Amino acid sequence: MSTVASTQTLEQNQNPAGPGSVSVGDTLPELRIPITATLIVTGAIATRDFQKVHHDKDVAVAAGTPNVFMNILTTNALVNRYVGQWAGPSARVGRINIRLGATNFPGDEMLFTGSVESVDGANVTVKVIGTNSLGPHVTGTIELTIPTEEETA
Amino acid sequence: MSIDPSDKIGEIIAAGRERVSVARDEVNRPMIHHLCDAMEETNPIHLDPEAARAAGHPDVVAPPSALQVWNMINPSDPVIESDVDRAYAILAECGYPKVVAVNCDQEYDRYLVPGDVLTATEKVEAFAGPKQTGLGEGYFITTLTSYTDQSGERVGTMRFRTLWYNPEKRTS
Repeated sequence: MSTVASTQTLEQNQNPAGPGSVSVGDTLPELRIPITATLIVTGAIATRDFQKVHHDKDVAVAAGTPNVFMNILTTNALVNRYVGQWAGPSARVGRINIRLGATNFPGDEMLFTGSVESVDGANVTVKVIGTNSLGPHVTGTIELTIPTEEETA
Repeated sequence: MSIDPSDKIGEIIAAGRERVSVARDEVNRPMIHHLCDAMEETNPIHLDPEAARAAGHPDVVAPPSALQVWNMINPSDPVIESDVDRAYAILAECGYPKVVAVNCDQEYDRYLVPGDVLTATEKVEAFAGPKQTGLGEGYFITTLTSYTDQSGERVGTMRFRTLWYNPEKRTS
């Protein structure tokens, strides 16, 4: 998938949220995701969502939208990726609760920002917002556990 | 012209009838790879068995957000009418034909590994309205899908809320 890789700005977090290092108010590194037809179509099919509005522009236009648009499963996957990239491989995601807003169309860009809402031992709640040129596409609350130093020792 | 759909939807919620679907394919590595390729997901717990084991998993795991993927309707499947579809049809017939997804709330009991075979059980859980929204007057409806594995253990749930609205009934 090098063609997809080359179109996306990867801001790989070199310092994932390590044991014991997470505090309320911490911000996640920003992540910019170009919204391409490739991402929308491959995301829809990889999530086994064959609704034509996600891969056939003619059908999408006939349905009253300007183009194909991102499906919800792809949005969920990108939220998952954004938080996981920050939290690191030892984290366990327990809940992804999203509110949907402005549609993701090809040619746009979505900017993810996030911050830590609460920390209780290993239990961390993160709020993320993915905004495109039309407004917030997704607002999410993610509950996860990040092992503490005692647990990983 | 619109009709109050509350009684009919209330009957559906009270009946609690569920649509049950068993995934055609087990959770598997090729589909996990497709997901990661499409999303540029690089977390090694999804791709590298050793990294997954180091993080405490028995094998590579599917991204948890893919909970819904395994039971998606196959394009060639016959249409099985469910109470969720009936509830949506009632809202459209009652004068609220336009739909927009509002919330998707997934909770995960455990991560999924290759070999898991999921059963999805879906029903209408909640209903609220009429509400004035920026899109027009409408009703919110929430479905609850529970996912169980091959042992009958629950692995996760998903609540999915949509707004069914009438764009001609806008106050602003």
